[in-house]
Amino acid sequence: MSRALPAGLVLAVLALLVLAPMAGLLQLSGLPGYEAADLRFWDNAYLRRVLYFSIWQALLSTLLSVLPAILVARAFAMRGQLPLRRLLLGLFALPLVVPAVVAVMAVVSVYGSDGWLPLGRSLYGINGILLAHVFFNLPLAVRLLLPQWQAIPQHHWQLGEQLGMSTWQGWRFIEWPVLREALPGVLLLVFMLCLTSFAVVLTLGGGPRSTTLEVAIYQSLRFDFNPARAVVLALLQLGLCILVATLTLKLHRLPEVEIAESAPVRPTSALRKWLDLGLILAATLYVGLPLLSMLIDALDGPILKVITDVRLWRALTNTLLIGLSAAAVSVFAGWLLLRYSAGLAHCGRPTVARLVDLAGSIVYVVPPLVIGTGMFVLLSSHVDVFDWVYPIVIAINALMGLPFVIRCLGPAMRRNHARYHNLCLSLELQGWNRFRYLEWPLLRQPLGLAIALVTVLAMGDLGVIALFGSTQTSTLALLIYQQLGAYMIPQATVTALLLLLLCLGVFALLERLIGGAGNVAH
Amino acid sequence: MYSVLPRIGASLIFLLFCSGLQAAMPTLVVYTYDSFTSDWGPGPQVKTAFEANCSCKLELVGLSDGVAMLNRLKLEGANSRADILLGIDTNLTADARASSLFETHGLSLRNSALPADWQDDLFLPYDFGYFAFVYNRESLTNPPTSLRQLVEDADGPTLLIQDPRTSTPGLGLLLWMKKVFGDDADAAWARLAPRIVTVSKGWSEAYGLFLKGEADMVLSYTTSPAYHIIAEQDARYAAAAFDEGHYQQIEVAGMVRTSKQKQLARDFLEFMISEEFQKIIPTTNWMFPAVAGETLLPAEFGELIDPSPALLLDEQQVAMQRKTWVDEWLEVMSR
Repeated sequence: MSRALPAGLVLAVLALLVLAPMAGLLQLSGLPGYEAADLRFWDNAYLRRVLYFSIWQALLSTLLSVLPAILVARAFAMRGQLPLRRLLLGLFALPLVVPAVVAVMAVVSVYGSDGWLPLGRSLYGINGILLAHVFFNLPLAVRLLLPQWQAIPQHHWQLGEQLGMSTWQGWRFIEWPVLREALPGVLLLVFMLCLTSFAVVLTLGGGPRSTTLEVAIYQSLRFDFNPARAVVLALLQLGLCILVATLTLKLHRLPEVEIAESAPVRPTSALRKWLDLGLILAATLYVGLPLLSMLIDALDGPILKVITDVRLWRALTNTLLIGLSAAAVSVFAGWLLLRYSAGLAHCGRPTVARLVDLAGSIVYVVPPLVIGTGMFVLLSSHVDVFDWVYPIVIAINALMGLPFVIRCLGPAMRRNHARYHNLCLSLELQGWNRFRYLEWPLLRQPLGLAIALVTVLAMGDLGVIALFGSTQTSTLALLIYQQLGAYMIPQATVTALLLLLLCLGVFALLERLIGGAGNVAH
Repeated sequence: MYSVLPRIGASLIFLLFCSGLQAAMPTLVVYTYDSFTSDWGPGPQVKTAFEANCSCKLELVGLSDGVAMLNRLKLEGANSRADILLGIDTNLTADARASSLFETHGLSLRNSALPADWQDDLFLPYDFGYFAFVYNRESLTNPPTSLRQLVEDADGPTLLIQDPRTSTPGLGLLLWMKKVFGDDADAAWARLAPRIVTVSKGWSEAYGLFLKGEADMVLSYTTSPAYHIIAEQDARYAAAAFDEGHYQQIEVAGMVRTSKQKQLARDFLEFMISEEFQKIIPTTNWMFPAVAGETLLPAEFGELIDPSPALLLDEQQVAMQRKTWVDEWLEVMSR
């Protein structure tokens, strides 16, 4: 099968990127000077506690991010004509790129003891973790769920109206079936993001009570230098995500009806309208306040000194280079995977299709530190790894971006395939022509979102670049981190604002260039 | 009118000549932490100063911290390009010694500024500092005067500290508490715990939160106020002097055994304890130079507290007990 081969290649590369470094680390534990892995997990009260806390905080964060996001996305969908809608949705792409250290500061500016909405000491603990995680993930979930409403055919709304459906009935019979296609994936993605959260959990968590698996992995690999245990913990984290994926997939249904592209146009009462606007306003404030605090801090900072520094521009160039390359690689790989899985779903093998999607998503939870160190072990005796900083950083970032590509593009590609594949076969439309005349016009919008999202995500990455970056290969995120580490907090706030503005610009530009004008998720 | 071509040709030949010269120069590779190599760290000045006389190229490779450097060197083994490892502290030296990756330097630290005598065949210190709790004079008017007072006063100041599993100062405080309270350290941590606002991953998060006013004091260095005085002309910040003394951090460098240019490496270590290198340290690394000298320290360092007596646990003891102590700490702090 012509589609199976490239997809199989992508899967093989994924497996290699994830498993080979782990094998490299495991092989170390046999060498003298390294401890063997301690596999007696359940004897270890510490690890049990860590596991329990990781799952608990991630589940809670996921529910608190995604459930409100459904309401907010719905409100955005119903208010297609809202002024500033495009800007607001652009704003919603930003929290994801704020490096965790900066986000913690921003959250503290709003909710800290000297903040605008002071929570005092009670901020530290589960409250702070949830506040920060919802700040990161609610806007992301809104962006990922919003296109689902667009997939509701016009005549469904009309039929609903003729039948005199109430709002609840409309939700139950028109919106929910469509939402169900994307929701499990979004839940899983947010769960993975919260599960692997590190600096946020440790800093806002109030102390070692709030230790996640990710921290334990870091500790094993860095502090204790016990690579085998790190690998075992990473596998445990992977297993946990597969379990959650299986559970969320129970919710998953592929839509059975024919689907068309439309925008919901439905008469609504004034009350509903105000309710929607209220929801949008609340979400915007929630997302906007920490960003606003960053803006205010930065405007107070030594702007001129920071932007006249040539090193900033070098970091900025690197940031763009890494972001755009990682997005290109990630979207290309994701496209190949999804093309294959859409075909599988179409010819009656939805389970295999889901497994392919899952394989693409799940790699996210293998910590970059594990991949990076493992790669180092494997490669360092053959090449100087630091001559390969860019390819390695781009590859790992592309890997990390893959679940986002699958979430953005997956539902649309499956719909597209279900609707037009037979037509294409009968018209013998294939290859480039199929892309040019069929897929591009219909998919450019989710494609634009995917590319924009992965680009800004890689631009804000710190986990990978901190492992391999140096002064010469610095990115803006790394620069911020270095400034924070050298007392230069005012400078760091300015750099952080520049990173945000750059991301906002790149996001808007890519979404417009690729996604087409005048239709942000609409 | 003359042609520009010969000039371009001549320039090209000159350039080729220069690059040829450069290729012939030996390169000394130093693994260090990235705040050393960063633009505002000591790195750029050190590079310029050393290259001025060595007819060599100094390549500073910045890694995230001391642990990362040592791990990397271990992983690379005999293949390592590194000639020098600069930036591990005395909590890591036992581990580094045991790795047998280092070579005797054969130098002695003349005119040492360290509080205790330095005798070590493998490692040579280049700077040192003391951990301390830093506060804002305007908001905290009567800071505690001893670690014991800080621990015992239940209504005392709130604190921001770092995690000993992920941060050097965090580990420093753990050892400081051990040194002062011995076997009662657990009980002391339990008394302190309610006033610890949060335990951050690294120094920067805790310090950033402190500047945002999240707690009365933050675990940092006695030299931190010097940054605010010198770089920001802000005299509000001070370190609290504790009667028991302050735990010390000594940063050292060592020569890698597999280095192929040991003479050059030794020259670098010699340069490292020279006045030229040492005077760069205070205002870039914000630590005390390892060598004593009137002219090495900016005047503002005179305003800092006297941290004596300097406290330091034996490196072997730290290496052996560290894990147990961290586990104990986790147990107390997770209650």
